[in-house]
Amino acid sequence: MSDSAEPSRFPSRFGARARAVRGRLVLRRALTGLALGMGLAGLVAAALWWQRLGPERPWAAALGLLGALAGAAFAWRRRWSDGDVALYLDARLDGKEAISTAVGLEVTDGGAARKILGDALSVLESAEAKRARPRVLSRVHGLAPVGGLAIAYLSFIPLPPAPAGPEAPPGSELVQMANLLGLEKIEALDKLDPRDAEQRARLEGIARDAQKLREDLSKGLEKREAQARIAKLRDDIAAERMKLGTEENRPGLEAAVGKLNQSPHLKDAAKALGNGDLVEFDKEMQKLANMAETEAREAAKEAIEEAARAAREKGAGQLAEALEEQKRLFEEREGRAEALRQLAKELGDAGKLSEQALEDLKEFGESGSPEAQERLADALNDALEGLSEEERKRLAERLKKQLEQQGESGQMNPMTKQQLEDLAKKLATPEGQEQLRQQLKELAKEHASQEAEREKGLGDADRGGAEAERGLGMTPIPLQSPGGDGQQGPGNAGKKPGQGGDTKGQGGPGSKRDTGQGDHQGETKSVPGKELRSKANAKVNPGAPMQGGTLGRAPARAGETANRAGTGALGDVAPEELSGVERSELPQEYREQVGRYFQP
Amino acid sequence: MTSSDGFAERLTEAKTVSDRLRSAIATVIVGQHGVVDQVLWTLIAGGHVLLEGAPGLGKTLLVRTLASALDLKFSRIQFTPDLMPSDVTGTNVLVMDARGASAGRFELHRGPIFGQIVLADEINRATPKTQSALLEAMQEHAVTIAGTRHVLDEPFFVLATENPIEMEGTYPLPEAQLDRFLVKVVVPSPGEDELTNILNRTTGHQVAAPEAVLHRDEVMALRALCRDIQIAEPVVRYASRLVTASAPNAAGAPDVVRRAIRYGAGVRGGQSLVLTAKALALLEGRAQVAFSDIQRVALPVLRHRLIRSFEGEADGVTTDQVVEELVRVVPTRPEAVEAAVQRN
Repeated sequence: MSDSAEPSRFPSRFGARARAVRGRLVLRRALTGLALGMGLAGLVAAALWWQRLGPERPWAAALGLLGALAGAAFAWRRRWSDGDVALYLDARLDGKEAISTAVGLEVTDGGAARKILGDALSVLESAEAKRARPRVLSRVHGLAPVGGLAIAYLSFIPLPPAPAGPEAPPGSELVQMANLLGLEKIEALDKLDPRDAEQRARLEGIARDAQKLREDLSKGLEKREAQARIAKLRDDIAAERMKLGTEENRPGLEAAVGKLNQSPHLKDAAKALGNGDLVEFDKEMQKLANMAETEAREAAKEAIEEAARAAREKGAGQLAEALEEQKRLFEEREGRAEALRQLAKELGDAGKLSEQALEDLKEFGESGSPEAQERLADALNDALEGLSEEERKRLAERLKKQLEQQGESGQMNPMTKQQLEDLAKKLATPEGQEQLRQQLKELAKEHASQEAEREKGLGDADRGGAEAERGLGMTPIPLQSPGGDGQQGPGNAGKKPGQGGDTKGQGGPGSKRDTGQGDHQGETKSVPGKELRSKANAKVNPGAPMQGGTLGRAPARAGETANRAGTGALGDVAPEELSGVERSELPQEYREQVGRYFQP
Repeated sequence: MTSSDGFAERLTEAKTVSDRLRSAIATVIVGQHGVVDQVLWTLIAGGHVLLEGAPGLGKTLLVRTLASALDLKFSRIQFTPDLMPSDVTGTNVLVMDARGASAGRFELHRGPIFGQIVLADEINRATPKTQSALLEAMQEHAVTIAGTRHVLDEPFFVLATENPIEMEGTYPLPEAQLDRFLVKVVVPSPGEDELTNILNRTTGHQVAAPEAVLHRDEVMALRALCRDIQIAEPVVRYASRLVTASAPNAAGAPDVVRRAIRYGAGVRGGQSLVLTAKALALLEGRAQVAFSDIQRVALPVLRHRLIRSFEGEADGVTTDQVVEELVRVVPTRPEAVEAAVQRN
């Protein structure tokens, strides 16, 4: 170190060295930013891959560039001053702070200053000046290629499988069925003989809805929508079945039932009518019409007349008409039954009937049982086939003679007389005999009232709706129907324990199956409590009601004990229960269905 | 001597002279290079030295040898409890004629303080009053006798000794007075080789006597040249940080300072650091002070300026340990620069 070094060269020399130092420091910072950016970009690419954002994955590399720019910007903002560079160079080149002192010199023309500048210049130009280069690379910079490779890898590998989405709402799946069984029974409602024009319109509407549902199902329909529409059809059918028991007909119905109850022969018929079960009511009336006891029949006719009158007085015109029709039908049945009995008597007297046929005749006269009537008609038919020409003529003569005798005594029912005349004419010729056989076959069949026919058709339609619901995977809910709950009739009630009942009970008006033929003798023994076992760990059968559970509606009946007067429809509800479904938290898609279910 | 062309040659010459002085001293003093160096720094920086060491380690011999080698007027004051200030500074005495009668005038009888190299031997045995008389002269380079101020000859260089043992009957120097010494040199015991050499030299007939190798003008020139040595701003700041960190309530003070020090170094400590470092740089032929110069002079310059707390004394923490910790902890360069230096 000496004055021989030209101190004036120091500034340029130092400037060059400082630029190199700063440049490398900026490069180092930029690389650090790039590395951190690429590391972050790798994580972002992984996140994009995880989120299945495929096209965006390579763009994560832009974070690396952003990091490099940020690093360079940061380095530029924090760039070293000349003093810092000088300190760094002094430390690296062992300059004993000659460079720092030279940089900070205020006066450069003094002897000491020149000496310092010269020394500093010597340090800068020393052979080991390359030691002053700041290190550019560090271990952190290894993140850059790692991040780049990660991005490249994540950009090429297939995306992870998408997670299963939320389950579709129950019933939202499409169903497509060309022929849903059961719907045809609902469609057949438009063929029923309606009570009036209004009912015709309603029945045709129901049938039309069923046809529309069939068409929609053939194209494809949401299952829940199909179920809801079937439920609506069943509700409409149930409402139609309950028409005679509506609020306005109720007083008339109760008055008519009261009148019928006054006749001891019409107790069961009254019960059936009270239940609104016109089919059962019609059957009861058929039995009465078949009975041989004239007083009972007359009393029954009078009771029906009074019931019809009472119903009309109470404003139940439709019910009154139904009762009047029932009376006309009663008289026709009565005539047919009488003719049947007369023919059977004559054939029996001629020894042409078997013992069984005679038993059937006896039962027919006592109970009016339709089954006995059927068996008797069949026996008569067989007996007629076995008659010779001579016997047939003789039988016709006897019938005529009997007709004359009865006419003279005035005992014969006009209908019976006409029937006997017809019988005699028919027996006189082979063609007439054939006609008679056909009539006997007809007699074997039940002749229901129009109201009963409608009720039967509606019942068939409701069962068709239930069948359609089963076809769609639903568990049909029993709806309110006249006489459809199968309650025990009075015939099931035996005598007191120990006495032993000797009467054959009759099936109650609500019963579909109990014909009342059972023997109710004896008593039910008491069951020790210890032997009763609860069914532990019972397996619940999905879709089926729990044992002892109640499904469906339980309407109150006229004359029965109830907290509130029955209306025949859905019971009265408290004010706070009105529109409860709408206020509930049920999903919208179920509200309509549930609301329709609770629709009276 | 002012800055001009030929500065480099003067630096070289200064180094040569100092080497010659070391060699001259080495003819008498065996070893103790560190002590000799520190004494030379102080001489060139224009300060005074407090030598501390056990008896018989050659303190007095060192001073006498230095005085011989420097060709300066040497005086020695043996401090004792009954030593009076006037015994140090001198006094006016009534002039008597040949007959023994008063001449009617007073004449100044100069004390030993009027030497150029003054050895204040066992300074802590004199009363504070006497010590203060010496310390005033050290600070002012002048004494006042009977109201008259007398400037002392330059260079004025006081080397005081004190014995760390036999503390009974001594008057420890007040902190304010210790601060007047540029450095405090602890004279170590010689090692085996050095002691062997000492024994060989001092037990024969021939006693070595150094030649005068440095004269007054040359000493003054060195002192002037010392002031021309440059110091960079970061180095001055480092010296400031060291001094600041020695105060226990300073923000950057290390734990040992907070715990063991009651008062740290002051402004005079900082001045002493820079001046001593400049002298060191000069003796090494450099025109600027380095961080390492500050670190090398920190211990002798600061050790007597730190006042230990009760806790520090109780724990046996020495000021030397504190200064070493300060040098270790206080950063020289900015953090970013230091990190870049360490990275390479």
